[in-house]
Amino acid sequence: MTECAIRLLNLTKRFDGEQEPAVSALSLDVPRGRTVALIGPSGCGKTTTLRMINRLVEPTSGRIEIDGEDASARPVAELRRSIGYVIQEVGLFPHQTVSQNIATVPRMLRWDRGRIDERVAELADLLGLETEQLGRYPDELSGGQQQRVGVARALAADPPVLLMDEPFGAVDPIVRTRLQDELLALQERLRKTIVIVTHDIDEAVKVADNVALLNIGGKLEQYAAPDDLLHSPANAFVEQFLGEDREMKRLALKRVGDLPFERGPVLDLGAAPAEARALLGDARSEWLGLTQDERFAGWVPRERVDTAATLDALPRELPAAQVHPGSTLREAMEVIMNSRTSVAVIDDGGRFGGVVTLEQIRSELARRAS
Amino acid sequence: MIAPLQAQNPIIRWSWFIDEWDQVQAALVQHLELTLLALGLGLLLSAALATVALRYERGAPPITAGAAAFYTIPSVALFGLLVPYTGLSRATAVLPLAGYTLLILITAIIDGFRSVPAEVREAASGMGMSPRRRVLTVELPLALPYIITGIRIATVSTVGLVTVAAIIGQGGLGRLILDGLRRAFWTPMTIGASLSILLALMLDLAIYRLGAAATPWTRRRGA
Amino acid sequence: MIPLPFAQAAVPRGIGLAEWLVDVDTWLGRDGILSSGLDTVTLCAAVMGTGMLIAVPSAALLAHSRRGELTATALVTLGRAVPTFAVAALLVPVALRRGWGFEPWPIFIALLLLALPPLYLNTYTAIRHVEGGVVDAARAMGIGERTLLLRVELALALSVIFTGIRVAAVQVVATEPIRAFLGGDGLGRYVRDGLGQNNDTLIIGGALLIAALAATTSVAVSVVERLVVPHGVRRLKQRTAARRGSVG
Repeated sequence: MTECAIRLLNLTKRFDGEQEPAVSALSLDVPRGRTVALIGPSGCGKTTTLRMINRLVEPTSGRIEIDGEDASARPVAELRRSIGYVIQEVGLFPHQTVSQNIATVPRMLRWDRGRIDERVAELADLLGLETEQLGRYPDELSGGQQQRVGVARALAADPPVLLMDEPFGAVDPIVRTRLQDELLALQERLRKTIVIVTHDIDEAVKVADNVALLNIGGKLEQYAAPDDLLHSPANAFVEQFLGEDREMKRLALKRVGDLPFERGPVLDLGAAPAEARALLGDARSEWLGLTQDERFAGWVPRERVDTAATLDALPRELPAAQVHPGSTLREAMEVIMNSRTSVAVIDDGGRFGGVVTLEQIRSELARRAS
Repeated sequence: MIAPLQAQNPIIRWSWFIDEWDQVQAALVQHLELTLLALGLGLLLSAALATVALRYERGAPPITAGAAAFYTIPSVALFGLLVPYTGLSRATAVLPLAGYTLLILITAIIDGFRSVPAEVREAASGMGMSPRRRVLTVELPLALPYIITGIRIATVSTVGLVTVAAIIGQGGLGRLILDGLRRAFWTPMTIGASLSILLALMLDLAIYRLGAAATPWTRRRGA
Repeated sequence: MIPLPFAQAAVPRGIGLAEWLVDVDTWLGRDGILSSGLDTVTLCAAVMGTGMLIAVPSAALLAHSRRGELTATALVTLGRAVPTFAVAALLVPVALRRGWGFEPWPIFIALLLLALPPLYLNTYTAIRHVEGGVVDAARAMGIGERTLLLRVELALALSVIFTGIRVAAVQVVATEPIRAFLGGDGLGRYVRDGLGQNNDTLIIGGALLIAALAATTSVAVSVVERLVVPHGVRRLKQRTAARRGSVG
């Protein structure tokens, strides 16, 4: 097997009656088991490119290889059944129940009844759909649930490739974030080759392993991993497209758990006040954190520590700034900005997991992208 | 003018209804036959014409305009015009009746298929459904509510028009109406007119029920 | 068996269609085309006049106050389904008993029932679909509700209302000939008499006359519309008619 699952070679599409090509001479390799985001301004041909992969649009020239095989050489129905397809409007069949919708491709492939039922149950479980919802009609579900069904339907026959055209564009921001997280978790397990079209750079850098930024007319401006793209834009167009806060966007790519462990000015409740004063003397912190049985117990202000007989007796303030190892640095920063301390406590499943400081975040940003 | 005596004939005489039941039944059956024949033929023609209109963008306006023009031809005139060619036969009744259903049915079919959301069509194709399978298993069911509504209107209006076919000796219940009018004997007229209205309502209800059973997804909307 | 209660137009058998149509007597006689046509036109005009008087104001008021949506949708179905012949027939004995005579009340009422749905429906949908912004702007300028309905909403809806008038008028004219089978005369008499006498000339000639009158009606309403409706409003028609609901 080749490492590259989908290869676009010199792909050009010129629509009838249009002067400029929608996509011109685009070449792109999509590695197996990875997620690639196609992004760019409207009119950049990202959707056209996607639709050429499952041949809903036939290229004017150029070639598409899937697993090293020319896509145009395969019967179109067979090709499409081996590629999952998710679109923004979902396009569920309103006259079929959720389970009938999910079973669409397996039915076309003439799987037997038992195998279909089994697969539907499996997918419902994978996407967090209730059994009771399987017998419902799509109109009875919320937008987010509908898109989960859309993804389940696309995955039904276990296609190695998944094409997604603005899959989360029609749901509200909160649901969108959740669906993005679910997609990441799903991809963690399934390792499909995914091509996702989006106009949202935050979505692209969040869900994709590689981002292809297209300009009007399907011209590839940069193809890079999200961190590289944000840190070193190839040209002025890319820089402008990414926006002023592209460095801040990088923070969304890093997780708290990836940082080197830092304990911060934190002591056990049982420690001697002298030990605490020594610690605070070194650190420039105005606060001392206390732990009890490996759990964070609260903050005490520096001036109280100076006069305390035992640490245990001090009135403690519970931390407002709390993050998880899975939180992004951007979230951590926001939490810190909104709190009285300049550090956030990491809550690692109830246990004290160290602290994040603004200083750490700043130095992380300054680091060159790897 | 009619003598006052005849005007005083009772509107309905039940003994006639019982005595002449055979005649009433025959009229009812003929009425139903003419209606179903006209609808069947109309549906076939409409399906064919609507297919052309849906497949070729330019075909739709002339086809609907033609059906609309046909619809405005007075029924008395049309029945009359056909008599010299097809005689006082069943065809003379059925052909115009079928023609009058075209406007309603073609419009319903076209509207129905055009109501299928583009994304549903896109999703079907994207999953590798053949156009034929897509039309039969996705688009047709989704167009069904429109088509059923069209059939209901066409049915009710055809039942009403069949009575007019009595003027060319067809017309089922219409013959009872005409007969009663000619003799100023109101019983058959009242029975014919009432039964034709009743038949229209019953058929409408029956098709509505069938349609609701065939399109369960339309009922649970918004639950 | 009692003879038909109407006078038969006696026409010699074997006379050709052209011959019949060019004969002065055919047109001018006591039962001539002109007098029969006048009968038909008078009745249809009366039906349309009454229909408009009933349907347009009531639909306009209801639409203006945003009520009666259900009535409008129910009329879509009913509009094409009124069994004119049966309804008229049922009314004949009633009319006779009331002493109104054989004619023309039954057919008048049946035709009125036929005309009301398109008139009501088109007025209603046209006014409902006048753009909210226009209405708000008018209100904001301090225009009273009465003036708003008459000068703004009805004016903008006029073109679609005319479509309703045309549809109703053509249906009424096309259906009126059954009057000849309900004890009256009118243009339908030639088809009736032709059928009675087994005379093809009379049948075809009569049928052509009816069809011609229906076509003329359609054209005539359009001409009146052109004269009455301002050009700017007519251009609105395509947009409004494109929205579901109105008969066009």
